[in-house]
Amino acid sequence: MKKMIYTIILLVLMVGMLVACGNEEEAASETPGTSGEENTDNNSEENTANNAENNTDSNEKNANESEASGSEPQTIEFWHGMGGGLGETLDELVEQYNASQDDVEIVAEFQGSYEELLTKFRSVGGTTDAPALVQVFEVGTKYMIESGYTTPVQEWIDKDGYDVSQLEENILSYYTVDGDLHSMPFNSSTPALFYNKDAFEEAGLDPENPPRTFSEIEEAAELLTVSEGGETSQYGFSMLGHGWFFEQMISTQGQDFVNEANGRDGNATEAEFGGEEGLKVFEWINSMHKAGSYEYYGQNWDDIRAAFQAGQVAMYMDSSAGTKDTIANAPFDVGVAFVPHADDIDPQGVIIGGASIWMANGITEEEQAAAWEFMKHLQTAEVQADWHVNTGYFAINPAAYDEAIVTEEHEEFPELRVPIEQLQETVPSSATQGALIAVFPEARQQVVSAFEAMYQGMSPEEALNQAIEATNHAIETYNRTATEE
Amino acid sequence: MSSSSVTVVEERILQYGRKEKLSWWGKTKNFRTAMLYLFPSILLFSIFLFYPMLRTVYLSFFLTDAQGVASLFVGFENFAYILQSSVFRKSMVSTLLFVLYTVPSSVIIALFLALLANEKLRGIGFFRTILSSTMGMSVAASAVIWLFLFHPTVGILNSFLNIIGISSIPWLLDPQWALISIAITTVWMNTGFAFLVILGGLQNIDQHLYENAEIDGAKYRYQLRRITLPMLSPTLFFIITITFINSFQSFGQVDILTQGGPAEATNLIVYAIYRDAFINYQFGTASAQALILFILVFGLTILQFKFGEKRVHYQ
Repeated sequence: MKKMIYTIILLVLMVGMLVACGNEEEAASETPGTSGEENTDNNSEENTANNAENNTDSNEKNANESEASGSEPQTIEFWHGMGGGLGETLDELVEQYNASQDDVEIVAEFQGSYEELLTKFRSVGGTTDAPALVQVFEVGTKYMIESGYTTPVQEWIDKDGYDVSQLEENILSYYTVDGDLHSMPFNSSTPALFYNKDAFEEAGLDPENPPRTFSEIEEAAELLTVSEGGETSQYGFSMLGHGWFFEQMISTQGQDFVNEANGRDGNATEAEFGGEEGLKVFEWINSMHKAGSYEYYGQNWDDIRAAFQAGQVAMYMDSSAGTKDTIANAPFDVGVAFVPHADDIDPQGVIIGGASIWMANGITEEEQAAAWEFMKHLQTAEVQADWHVNTGYFAINPAAYDEAIVTEEHEEFPELRVPIEQLQETVPSSATQGALIAVFPEARQQVVSAFEAMYQGMSPEEALNQAIEATNHAIETYNRTATEE
Repeated sequence: MSSSSVTVVEERILQYGRKEKLSWWGKTKNFRTAMLYLFPSILLFSIFLFYPMLRTVYLSFFLTDAQGVASLFVGFENFAYILQSSVFRKSMVSTLLFVLYTVPSSVIIALFLALLANEKLRGIGFFRTILSSTMGMSVAASAVIWLFLFHPTVGILNSFLNIIGISSIPWLLDPQWALISIAITTVWMNTGFAFLVILGGLQNIDQHLYENAEIDGAKYRYQLRRITLPMLSPTLFFIITITFINSFQSFGQVDILTQGGPAEATNLIVYAIYRDAFINYQFGTASAQALILFILVFGLTILQFKFGEKRVHYQ
């Protein structure tokens, strides 16, 4: 009996840990949520008064430096989610900026994946612990606007008289809500179709004339599929288990993802991708899957890339940000084309993905000004050219495409031009602007689940319905709490 | 423990003698002393366990807004929604299957290895270290190793299967296989700890029992059945309970290997809770699921004690 009590206590402890994990987050984010704004205002006044002191407290390294030099650069914290090579490139950009002037020191901190980054920001948002600048992925836009933790960059654009027209319109449109630009786009990409040119030649297809419509892709996929004795060594087509690609094929048909003009005229109340537009996509994938010319490689980006590189799949969709790596790593010639679109329609274009930089409102005016200077610096053609060449993301400032390093790069990899053309050909509309919903991560997950259910034999109609119902439920639940306040 | 209970009894007798003289303050003396001793643990438990638990119960009756603040009281709606939701049912089925796959196999494999490693041979220390080494691996590191082994294109498991003429298995891509793949990973991770505990249990068994049995002419298998297993039963019971609870709470390997996919086949309950709380920011439904999990594990553990403990032989 004694042992039993011990074990039950142990059990309670273990389950308790789990519960505590869930709760900690809640408790932490509760404080800023309820009284955050008031605190913030008080603090910023205090901060203005004790600006020097505050900086010394907030950054020890900085404090040491200031003791040595006597003058104190302002420290601006910048949270980002760029790991690996992207992170190195970003760190270099930040270092260059820090070296170029003495007034401001940007401290770039990698905070994990976009999701982790946003979770961390949620718990400190609106407090003095919040960073001045934070990078948030595109689907977090609605959350950030409603959080009350940020200052729309439009305020600084107006104050400073900054000319936004120099930036790429089709990228700005995503982050523009009610005519105001809320955050500064930073790393933007779109999907594109990547294909194996060598495999095209072997299958008797023209590698310089890639398929564009659903039925063209389906025919090509059939021809590209190589199988021997029931074993398929090369599949024609594949799509990553990620909602982003589905959204593109909805938008290119000119269809909004949700109602209220994609959530841009007001709070969306219903998903709208369940009509014939969505069904076309599901049926198209299903028919290829049934025919054996389509293979699913899961939700992991690296897995589908590895399959393409290994010649197991001849066509797939990937982010334009990976163009250069894909071409450089492939042992065969890679072609890049526009994303597929449904037959008999005029393709409307693509929605951008990636992330933008937000300015927190829990900081002083001086800090915001310094943060704004850094934002402007990031948008200069020079920096954008550097960024574009090193990462494959778009240049937010199209003038960057005329910089020498970019033109050289484009000569070497002409495929890099394709996603840029695709973006510039995009017809501005609410559909290609992208949906603005707070429950986007959940909606994406539901779409992926629906596709996966279809691969297991569910009919396209049923799978699509499942995604619609689950997304509607998520939107409804969200709206019930959102309107409460 | 026994000496203190003796003093308690003595005190009771003394108290009985002068019962009418004792005030309320005097009568509660034992209780107050006990509370004093318990205070540190009660305090820690309250802060880290009872408070979060009560918050979880509280949150499970609310919908939370985008900031995660409980903003709309909905009564039992979260529970009703979960119990009706096919996703949750599927998640429960996967979790139970997963427990079924992992617990018996982990314990049996660990027991087998421990019996082997319990033999006194030259260099056995090396094998004991190797066999318990997975205990030192973090969940994340082990999961990443298996991620590469299972890789659909460059994974070594499939390459090996191809060499011996078997076609590739879609380890993490097929819903049926994915749960098994996660189970294999988990069994591999569990074995180290279970092995170590069982080996410890084996070493604790009195050698005289074996000597006596040998004199009586008992064979190895008879000794195993009549001495080793009964004497090992408290250890086995402990390790079964721990593995059981661990299996219910598996998270890291799911997060790294499949993220709950494909087609939600590996959306184990703890991962479902995580997804609701930190991806969908629905702390209400996440808390409700956490409570259901708690009640379930609690109930199953009590049952396990009720029926399992009878077979346990304490020395």
